[in-house]
This record gives sequence, structure tokens and C-alpha cells, in this order.
Amino acid sequence: MSQVAGTGTEPSVPAPRETGAPDGRALRIEGLHKSFGANHVLKGIDLAVDPHEVICLIGASGSGKSTLLRCVDLLETIDSGRIVFFGHEITREEVDEVLVRRQMGMVFQAYNLFPHMRVLRNVTLAPVKALGLSVREAEERAMALLGRFGLADKAGDYPDRLSGGQQQRVAIIRALAMRPRLMLLDEVTSALDPELVGEVLDVIRELASGGMTMLIATHEMGFAREIATRIVFLEDGVIVEEGPPSQLFDAPADDRTRRFLGRAVGAGRG
Amino acid sequence: MIFRRLAVAVAVVVAGTGLGLAGMSVPSGASPRTEGPGNTAPLRSCTYSAIQPFLYSPGHLTVATDAPAYAPWFEHNRPSDGKGYESAVAYAVAKRLGFKPSQVKWVVETFNASYAPGPKHFDFDINEISVTKTRAKAVTFSSGYYTDEEALVALKGSPITKHHTPAALKTYVYGAEIGTTALQYINSRIHPIHTPATFTTLNDVKSALVDHRIAAFVTDTPTAQYIATTEIKHATVIGQFPVSNQHYGLLFQKGDRLVKCVDKAIAVLKRTGVLHRLAKKYLRVYTSIPVIKP
Amino acid sequence: MPAEGSTSAGVTPLPSAPGLPPAIVGSPGGPDPVTGGGLLGGDPFRRRSRLFRTERGRVVTSTVSTLAVLGGIVTAFLLAPGSRQVRSVFFNAHDMWRAFIGDPHTGFYSVGKGILLNIEMFLVAEVLILVLALVIALVRQSRSPVLFPLRMLAIAYVDFFRGVPLILVIFAIGFGLPALYLPVISYQSAVVYGVGALVIAYSAYVSEVYRAGLNSVPFSQIASARSLGLRPRTALRYVVLPQAVRTIIPPLLNDFISLQKDTALVAVLGVVIEANRAAQIFSSTVFNYSGFTVAAILFLLLTIPLARFTDHLIARDRARRLAGST
Repeated sequence: MSQVAGTGTEPSVPAPRETGAPDGRALRIEGLHKSFGANHVLKGIDLAVDPHEVICLIGASGSGKSTLLRCVDLLETIDSGRIVFFGHEITREEVDEVLVRRQMGMVFQAYNLFPHMRVLRNVTLAPVKALGLSVREAEERAMALLGRFGLADKAGDYPDRLSGGQQQRVAIIRALAMRPRLMLLDEVTSALDPELVGEVLDVIRELASGGMTMLIATHEMGFAREIATRIVFLEDGVIVEEGPPSQLFDAPADDRTRRFLGRAVGAGRG
Repeated sequence: MIFRRLAVAVAVVVAGTGLGLAGMSVPSGASPRTEGPGNTAPLRSCTYSAIQPFLYSPGHLTVATDAPAYAPWFEHNRPSDGKGYESAVAYAVAKRLGFKPSQVKWVVETFNASYAPGPKHFDFDINEISVTKTRAKAVTFSSGYYTDEEALVALKGSPITKHHTPAALKTYVYGAEIGTTALQYINSRIHPIHTPATFTTLNDVKSALVDHRIAAFVTDTPTAQYIATTEIKHATVIGQFPVSNQHYGLLFQKGDRLVKCVDKAIAVLKRTGVLHRLAKKYLRVYTSIPVIKP
Repeated sequence: MPAEGSTSAGVTPLPSAPGLPPAIVGSPGGPDPVTGGGLLGGDPFRRRSRLFRTERGRVVTSTVSTLAVLGGIVTAFLLAPGSRQVRSVFFNAHDMWRAFIGDPHTGFYSVGKGILLNIEMFLVAEVLILVLALVIALVRQSRSPVLFPLRMLAIAYVDFFRGVPLILVIFAIGFGLPALYLPVISYQSAVVYGVGALVIAYSAYVSEVYRAGLNSVPFSQIASARSLGLRPRTALRYVVLPQAVRTIIPPLLNDFISLQKDTALVAVLGVVIEANRAAQIFSSTVFNYSGFTVAAILFLLLTIPLARFTDHLIARDRARRLAGST
């Protein structure tokens, strides 16, 4: 699988990648189980993701959405099952998970940015240390990305001067600076004030339209309906139902899905 | 209401001042022993009955020394058995003042506390304390009961036993106990090139010698002899330094009145040869110790 | 009509329902004696005491009462019967100067020179402690099975050296090592042993402070660093440690102020004439404690600027630590 190193003149939003080899899937999760002590969180997850797909994971807290994303990013060791990433099985013992993570970008709910570094350094740290870019190249790449999303003037600021929405946007940019093939977004708007949510969703929208393969855990039902190619509903560690937004939201097949959506809509997140 | 608060504040200041002023009218220590603001009684004679009001504990002579009480100044760490030079001197002074041996009470006072300001809980302290002018500003000393000479102690067979010319003496690492005049002697006469090691107690100095951390130490001749003959068998006294004219004196609280009578007693003991006899008995001063020049 | 038990003038009890006892609704203590109003009459929320009502009043009150207490203490000190003697024994200017300068021929050494030795020992020890303690803390935080024996050793080390009094450690190292006659190790100066003992003992304490700092870094910081594909060592160096250290600056400073004073213990090895030992020698030669006063002043001159500088560092960093919260 060829690596594409940055040359500094790439377009700011990464172009859609080549399709995965042999079976063409970007991601295949098979029979994934994960427990924390006595707590069996993921009880056999099977999921296939094609390149350029945007999968929105929905479900209640504790359903396993975050854990699933973290397992994909190899932040957690799985108990059984396997994950195949662009044709390579990444859950094998001899795999260096650090190299895998460099091809995936993950953003969390809060406390993402490194508070003791300026925004620009936040974005350039990993490209310099992990990808071996020179500082100048990394900064050019970073400024291009920041400019693309209207944050160029914040490059010299410390994170505490940015609003929550701006911080999350920078967090996404920071992940993008690594030119990942897959983006994993774990409830990135859940900790934001409502008026700041929109700007973050705009960024995600743009990534999606640029063809980035994404797994997004979210509570924002309206957004999910708009942007997802597929919705996956998790409850109690299993995928209850999955399908295109129109099908899942308008005509859920499973009772549990219906109950969840009813509660979610009732809570005003629809 | 603000006036009420201010009044409280002023009252605090006034109370503080008032207590202070009131305190002044009470004589310090409430005893006629020392010269103090409220105390005008003079000590007219040194008879047994006349000195009673000037004692720490009337009816007793309270004598202090350090613990452990080293030989040959005391024996077996028991000041009360009257053996050892200082113990014997204390009882001799007590006898001249009219006390029976059973009326002599011993208390412990560490060296560092003996010169602290404030009232003492003894009549005098006997602890091989050298009299100096500077020290006499803080405490009152009696006249001397022993003339102190300094001697050099080292381990048998060590280089210093053979090489102790004035030039050679400068090269060794010496040890000394804090609070003794040994340190002053080493620095002002020997002029060593290495800073001497100082130790809090004599025991620490002895350990340092045995552990080869110091080449030799300086202490008064009787102590040096006792250590070399009895305590550290493989130690030897290399020699005595020339006469220093330092005396050991009894230590009293500053301004103590009793010292006049004690000085009279000591003068008598000197004149009648008692001190000399006790020195011969306990300190076994050998005139055969060579004198070495620093 | 007035109900039973109605109190002073100005209270208008609320009308009660027929058949029910009269109610004085919501004013359990009765009407406000200062304003005399009912529940919402007058100014029920006004501060009682005139003194504390305004900002200025509070400032004046606190200043006056502080001055009064301090004044009382100073007055008591100056007017105490033994004051003159205590002052001449502890605060004698002439003797303080003599102690500061020193005079080996009279038998005492310079406290001023001694403090330089304390400073030297303290600076060297501090650097070594910061390094050794970090190593110990990282070993303890590691989870790899390969490091298990080292981890156990680290735990034992910390438990032991936090338990044994520092002076015993100094004795053991300062007297024990030379007695073993090991090549090189047994032939160092007392200062080396003293600093070595301080480093070994203090690293145990400081490693715990580091661990607290490391544990205080939010997990998503580490997760973010890992998810960006940084190696654990890189993440530690650029992300975790800088944040951990900023958090633990106050307790670190505490330990270092302790260390400054504990350098005095090295004097038990005999040859080390640091400030406190010099003061001790002065006091027992001259029978005056003013040397200790000089030593105390010198130590304060060391510690206080360090404390203010640290406050400055903390203030400068405070805002940056809170990134991530909305």
C-alpha cells in the first residue's frame, strides 16, 4: 500500500484515496468483542465501511459507540474478532499500532488540544515528529488547512483563547494534517454550547463532500440524517439496526430503534 | 458600630502594653539570686544560712553537668558518687559552703543549653567549660578550678605519630568537638590546610578517629590520656601543646550572686592544695608527655 | 386585627385562615431588630454591622485590627522583662556581623561562606533529584511486563526512603560507604556523600509528586497524542510531561524549600561547615545565638525570592491549563 507523503503543495482537504485492495473495503470489523473487567461492552460487532462512506453511529450513552471507535483506532486491545483496514488486518500481534494510527485521525469530545502549545504547534507537532516533515513543510501544511477553515488568524494563539467550537475545529484540522485515510469523530459536538455546534458541523460537512471516509459517533440526529451515507444504531454493545438515513429515521425496522428515536426526538435533538 | 470595633482594637494594644508594664514590676525569676530589676538584696556573707535565699533550691546545692558525663571528670557517668575530678571538686566546694554531700543535687544540662538566656535551673554548671572574655558576657564564671592544656590524640602507627613537625602538622585533617577551645587552637596555632572536622559530641570525635575519617583530634590532656589508655586502646597521645593559660570555670547564670562565695571556696581549695591533690588522683597528669610545637 | 403573640410595633401579621392559629409567616426570628421591618419591609438583606457594609469599611477594619494585633505582639516583646537579654543574645548586631564574617583563629567560621556551601549542595542536589525522581516515577507508571522487576524495585525504594529519617540516610551513606573501602566510591568527600544522600532520599518523595502530576493530565490528552500516531516516548516528552510539570510546581517548590534547609543535616558528617554548623560553632564558642539569626536571615533570602518567582510561573501558566473546557 503506497504512502503518500506531503509535498507541501497538496490541496488543503485531502483528495479521496484509492480504494482498498483486495475487497475494496476501507474498514471491515468482524466479530469484535471488548470487555472492561466484568463489563462486556462490545458483544460481537460486524461492520463494513466502503471508502468515502460517512457512517454515523447513534445510540444511548454506554451503548459502546466510543469504545468501538477507540478499538478501531487501536487505542484499546480487543478481546476477540478482527479489524481489517484497507485490506490489512491491523489486529494482528505483530502490527505496530502507532503506524496504523498515523493513517487514522481521531477527535474526541473534549480536552483535545494541547494547552501548553500554540495552535500552530498543536497542528504541526505530529507531522514533524511522526511523519518526519520539516518544520517549514509542516507549518505550510498547517497554515493551509487553518486558512481553509477560517482559523488562520488563530495560529499564534494558545487554545484557551479559542472558543470551544474553534478548538474542536482545530482538533479536526490537527488530525487532517496527518493526511489520514479514515476519520473517527467521537461526539465532537456534545460538549459544545449549541451556538458553537454549527461551525464544527460545517467542517465535517466539507470533509464529507470532499470524500473523506468517516465514522462519526453523534447525538445530532438532524445532522446525521443530512450527512450520513449510513446510520448504525448501537444498543448494549450490539448493532441493532443499520441502513440509509431515510430508512432508519423514517421507517425503523426494530422496536428498540423506534424507542430510541422517540426518546431522542423528544429530547429535541432531532 | 465602627467605634465599638475601634475600641476593641485599641483595647488589645493597651492590654498588651499593660501586661508588659505589669510584667516589668515582677522581678525576673522571682528570686534574689540574680541581679534584676526588682532585686536589691545583697549577699552579705558566705555562711550557710546567708546563702540560702540565693540558691536555686534552698537547702540544696544544685549542680549541673552534661550527659554522658565523661571520664576522667566523672566516673561511670555517675556524678553523684564523688569520683572523677569535677565531681570531687563540686563536692569539695559544697563542703566549704557548708553542705553535706547528701545535700548536693545533680541535674543534666546539655552544653548548648547552658548558655541560653533566661533563668537557670541549677546553681552552677561544671562541664569542662573554658572561660573566655566573650563568653563571660553571656554568663558569669567562677575563678578557674583547672588550667587546661591541649593534647593531640591519634591512632598508633598512623603517619602523624612519626611526622609531626610544625610543617607536617599542617597537612592532616583534624577533628574537634564543638564548643571546646580545641577548634580555636587548631586554627590559630596549627594552621591546617584542610578545614578541621567538627562534631557535636566527643563520642562522635572518637568514632571519627577510629573510622579513619580524621587523622587526629585535639582535646584537653586529661581527657586525651583517658581515651588513649582506657577507651581506645590503639590510640596514643602524641604530645601536649605548650601552655595555653586557659582555665575551666564553673558556669553561673549571668549576674548570679552566689559566685562570690564560690570563688572564696575555690581560693581556699587552691591554697590548701586540695585541687592539686584531686588533680593528681584523678587526672594523673604525666609530666612525661612530650610537648610538641604547633 | 392583631394576632396573639404579635411583637413590636411595625409588624403586620398576615391574616390567617379562619380556624387556624395565627401565622407569622416566614420570619422565624421575629422582625429585623435593626431595620424594624417585617419580612419584606425595610431592607432585609442589608448587612448588620456598619463596619462590614462597604468595601472601604472592610478594608479599614482589617487593617486596623491587623496592626493592633501585630502592635500588641511587638509591644509585648519589647516590654518583657527579659527582652533586653534576649535581644542581645539573639539579635545582637555586632555578633551577627562577627558570625557572618567568621574568625577561624577565635574558633568559629563564617556563616556567610557557609551559606554558599548550602547553595552549592542544594543546586547540585536539586538537578539530580529532578532527574532521578522522574525516572522512578516513569518506571512506576509503566505497565509493560518487561519492567515489572524494576517497578517492584521502585516501589520498595520509595517506601524505604520515605520511611527512614533523612539523617540516618546521611549517616549510613556518609559513614558507611567510606568504611567499605570500595574503589572510587569510598574515597569521595563528605559533601559528595551528603549530596548523594539528599538525592537518594528526596527522589523518593519527589517521584510521588511527579506521579501525581502525571496522573493529573486528562486522559484525552494522552489519547489525542496517541491517536495522532505519536510514539509513547514522544507523547510523554511533548504532551504529558510539560502539562504534568506545570501542575506540580507548587508541591515541587515545597520539597525544594525543605531541601534547602535539609542541606544543614550534611554537617553531621563533620567536615562540612555549612551555614547552620557555622552558626552552631559560633554560638558555642561565643555563647551567643546571633549566628543562628544570621543563618535564618540568609535562608529566608534564599527561599522568599524563589517562592515569589514560582508564584509568577504559576500565574503565567494558569490560563493555559484550562484549555478544552467550554
